[in-house]
This record gives sequence, C-alpha cells and structure tokens, in this order.
Amino acid sequence: MGLTGFLTISALLFAVGTYGVITRRNAIAVLMGIELMLNAANLNFLAFWRFLHPVAVEPQVFVLVGLTVAAADAAIGLAVVLNIYRDFGAIEVDRADSLKG
Amino acid sequence: MDTASLLVFISLGVLTLVPALFVVNSRSIVHAGFWLLPCFLGVAGLYAALEAHFFFVTQLLIYAGAILVLVLFALMLTRNAMNPTESQSNRLKPVAALVCTAFAAGSTFILVKHPWAITTDTPKPAGVQTEALGNALIQNYAVPFEVASLLLLAALIGAIVLAKSDRGPVPEPAPLADLTSGTAGGE
Repeated sequence: MGLTGFLTISALLFAVGTYGVITRRNAIAVLMGIELMLNAANLNFLAFWRFLHPVAVEPQVFVLVGLTVAAADAAIGLAVVLNIYRDFGAIEVDRADSLKG
Repeated sequence: MDTASLLVFISLGVLTLVPALFVVNSRSIVHAGFWLLPCFLGVAGLYAALEAHFFFVTQLLIYAGAILVLVLFALMLTRNAMNPTESQSNRLKPVAALVCTAFAAGSTFILVKHPWAITTDTPKPAGVQTEALGNALIQNYAVPFEVASLLLLAALIGAIVLAKSDRGPVPEPAPLADLTSGTAGGE
C-alpha cells in the first residue's frame, strides 16, 4: 500500500486514541489513549519519511525524540496518577477536582 | 501493487486498529491494558513494512516492553480503585464518538485527495540506514540527542520524587470478593 494507506491507519488510530482520552473515567485508561495517539504520530512521521524523503535521516531523528518524549510522558503520567490515587483515594479523572474554582 | 503485500498491509492495519478499539472500550481496565500489546505489535509490523528497521526494534523494546509493563504496574498498584460494575466512560460518549468519527473521516478525505509528491527512491538497507542515523545523532543532531537524554533524566528523577511515599501508605484496596460479583458481563 502507498502513502495514503499508512496515513489512513494513522488517522484512524489517532481518532481512536482521542476517543479514549475524552470518554474514559479511569486516569490510567486516559494515559493508554495518549499512548495510542503518540503511536499514530510516529507512524505518520515514518510514513512521510518512507514515501517522501526515504534517503533523509532527519525524520528518523524526529521519531527518536518523539519516542523519548512518549517514554518520559508515560513515566511522569503514571507517577502523577499514583499520587492522585494516594491523595484522593480515587482514580477517576473527574474526582480530582481540587483546582476547580 | 501485488496482492501479497496488500494482504500483509491490511492484516497489519486490522491488528493495529481492532485492539485499539478494545483498549478504549473494554470494561475491564486490565483487559484494556493487555489489548495494548497487539496494538503495539501491529504498529511495529507497520514500521517493518515501511522499512524502518531500527524503529521496528525500538517499538518492540520501548512500547511492547517497557511502557506496557509500566502501565500494568500502575494498574496493579491502583487495584480495585474503581468499581468494575460502574460505567467506565463518562457522559461525553456519544459526542466523543461523533467528533472522532468526523475527525477520522475528514482527515482521511483530505489526505486521500492531497497530491503527495511521492518519490520513487527506496530506503537504504538496514545496516546503512541505522549507521547513518547513529552518525547523525553524534554529529549534526548531537544537541537534540542530548536534550532528549536530559529529558529522560529529568523524567526519571521526577517520577521517583513524585511516586516516593512521604504521605503515608497507599490506601488498602477493597477486597476482591466485594467487587467481583457483578463482573460476569465484562468486556
């Protein structure tokens, strides 16, 4: 399949991840949705690299930095979720509302 | 385009998207966590189909290895934090479904219509390509590489500081027997 096939899969994966982020009540499930969205972004980058600039190395550097950000995001996000669980005794995102005016 | 590679592409797409739907819809959060694995494997397969050999291996190591284990650890540490008989999604469900379907349809329409300047070049073989990436990371792109490693170090220390317990122990989860009675209809 050509470029459009990969981009379509990436767009669908991103939409599914967004749906998870919006609808899930469990904070860890929200983080799973964010992981799906980051995967879609990396897939998009590599599809463009393969079909538009296959000899360039810059897109791969972008994807490597994106992977690093995704790993840091997962570690920090889960640590924050554990803290919320400790402070509120709940893991639902709509019950951690102390900053709400 | 021969039928064999089309078949491989379609099965990789199904392997990625169907588990992703289960990740966002399954009622049991542990099932959702395990559904991440085939999804990540499908993305790794797509990387292999794109001839991005280094990222195929990286996807297996970081996502299917590290991040999945991290998510499952967090699930176990917050065991029974939510009653599995309650709904796992909020009241935005129909709106979110509408918005995400519209986004997927609209962006697919645009990117199919757009005249992409596709080249006939092919990527270099695995060894050459990975060597070029490694050279770029210590020559032209040394600064982004170092910034990425600083970011990882900051995330490492930050995660330890955040998760370190100085406010008493994690609350004791409710016993399993109290909650498992109504989970027969899970998934």
